[in-house]
Amino acid sequence: MTALLRLKDVTRKFGGINAVNGVSLSIEKGEIVSVIGPNGAGKTTLFNLISGFLPVTTGSISVEGRDLAQVPAHKYVQLGIGRTFQNLALFKHGTVVDNILVGRHWQMKTSVIEAALHFGRSRREEIAARERVEEIIEFLEIEHVRDKVVGTLSYGQQKRVELGRALATNPKVLLLDEIVAGMNQEETEDIARFILDIREELGVAILLIEHDMHLVMDISDRVHALNFGRTITEGQPEDVRSHPGVIEAYLGSGGAEQQAGPDHAKATEAAL
Amino acid sequence: MRSGYFKETVAEHINLTDSTLQRIWILIGLIFVVALPFYFGLYGISLITLMAISAIGAMGLNILTGWTGQISLGQTAFMVLGAYAYAISVESWGWPPIIGFALAGIVPAFASVLVGVPSLRLKGLYLAITTLASAFIVNQLVLEFDGLTNGASGIFVNRPTIFGYAFDTDAKLFYLVAFIGLLTVLACLNLRRSRIGRAFIAIRDNDNAARVMGIDLRAYKLYAFMASSFIVGISGALYGIFLSFVTIDGFPLLLAIEALAILIVGGMGSIAGAILGAIFLVGLPEITSAIFGMFGETAKQFLSTGAHEIKGLLYGLVIILFLRLQPHGLMGLWQDAKRAWTLWPLRY
Ligand SMILES: Nc1ncnc2c1ncn2[C@@H]1O[C@H](COP(=O)(O)OP(=O)(O)OP(=O)(O)O)[C@@H](O)[C@H]1O
Ligand SMILES: [Mg+2]
Repeated sequence: MTALLRLKDVTRKFGGINAVNGVSLSIEKGEIVSVIGPNGAGKTTLFNLISGFLPVTTGSISVEGRDLAQVPAHKYVQLGIGRTFQNLALFKHGTVVDNILVGRHWQMKTSVIEAALHFGRSRREEIAARERVEEIIEFLEIEHVRDKVVGTLSYGQQKRVELGRALATNPKVLLLDEIVAGMNQEETEDIARFILDIREELGVAILLIEHDMHLVMDISDRVHALNFGRTITEGQPEDVRSHPGVIEAYLGSGGAEQQAGPDHAKATEAAL
Repeated sequence: MRSGYFKETVAEHINLTDSTLQRIWILIGLIFVVALPFYFGLYGISLITLMAISAIGAMGLNILTGWTGQISLGQTAFMVLGAYAYAISVESWGWPPIIGFALAGIVPAFASVLVGVPSLRLKGLYLAITTLASAFIVNQLVLEFDGLTNGASGIFVNRPTIFGYAFDTDAKLFYLVAFIGLLTVLACLNLRRSRIGRAFIAIRDNDNAARVMGIDLRAYKLYAFMASSFIVGISGALYGIFLSFVTIDGFPLLLAIEALAILIVGGMGSIAGAILGAIFLVGLPEITSAIFGMFGETAKQFLSTGAHEIKGLLYGLVIILFLRLQPHGLMGLWQDAKRAWTLWPLRY
């Protein structure tokens, strides 16, 4: 069976360093897989490779058996790859609605000339897109800011808009890069709920980069741990958490004074 | 207070107007435009015609620079191409003006691909300089192909007759320009609320994110070049008709600076801003000469001998002032005023 998303021996070099080094990973429909690792482990680089931001140096990435090397970067979205960014990457002068609408771009066909005239297909498509966007806005509970310019929103709200924009692309795999970073407990729980609902209702597979260990332990089916671009281990959340290589990677990255113990998920989180 | 905020269907969100009051204002505006020539003498009519032509050109540049974020100084090149496409097809070959106008858009649109392709990877200053070069190249081509263009002597252009109706007076020409201006406004508004307009703005605001959303950056930058040059070309044809004469001297580089200045003054990216900016900047030399006139004959003399230089100076000054004090331009001022009005007497 071909996996929804499969990375085979993927390596990415920047000059002399291997930011990602021989990573293999696969994810099936409806799975939630977390990628963890200390700062600079290569997690975001991994996402950049999967979403076509950067080409791989060696190795291959495929979606439903299709090798991404053959596909231009702007068409990755059509294969079902959606992502959010670690540092917000919204269209900051647009409203919430405008931003999420851009996610519908590839699913619309209106040409420049049709758009300038605005009739027939152009109008029908626009209405259909907006209906979908309204559903997404309602789902993410951001109705009250729907017409606000995104630059004026709080960080947490902007993250939701980014999630909404990614959802609007109708992804099969959703790559979420530290989506709850900087959020409080309540906001984090909301996002966790959204992620579970997205999996439940849409069957979307989710690849999650996360430093919040509680979230990782709560919602992941599997966890993939990286350090210095290499896979340390992959497996059940509990097993990865207690894997000696993982503990060492985190303690080695400046948290050595923290004691590993029953409470060490919390400790590693604090270390980050 | 106006309230067009609550909407019942999704379709209402994409309509251009959302209240009867707004439609009434638009109607009043249109009547005002139609009435304008009755209030002005010949000079006044030619001034408002020039404002309208500049507004069309500025709306064209706005697609490329205001929305897509690609600074261009190639405006003059596409105006020249549009003007010659019209003049050659209509005056030399005797084709109907309506075809001439179509060509005035199509020829620059395709020519802009030639400028666009090599500039796809360029940004900011480098892009500005590359597009500036296109203006020189086009001028050179006009001189080179003198069999077609009549070289430096130019082509005389008559007032057009469209579907049997002769636009032979200055007032009628103004109506023609105003009508084409109205079509331009509608086309721009439609583009703005479509996937195409959103893609342009997405490229400007965050090209990386735009690509992840499936926007082909190269294709869309070219679309922006083409759509922009189409409109700019038509403004060039209108300018040629307005001057009754198409030569490369009629289209100095200053026009490219003026177009950018209009966008900065009006408010980058705003359609209404492009129109307001055009009215303001085209009117500015008039206001200045009126002020100079108050200082007597010598001042007036000075102004008419150095008109071109003074214009350049004024544009530069206005650009600096706006960038420094009101980066959102006249539209920004208007929005501040509107907010103050709706919220008064509250502060926020
Ligand atoms: N475009 C780039 N050019 C050069 N080096 C890069 C580039 N992107 C990432 N790197 C390097 O690759 C390594 C991995 O970075 P990456 O951003 O993937 O880490 P990360 O795991 O996402 O870290 P964090 O938790 O801090 O977000 C780092 O050493 C980084 O400096
Ligand atoms: Mg990262």
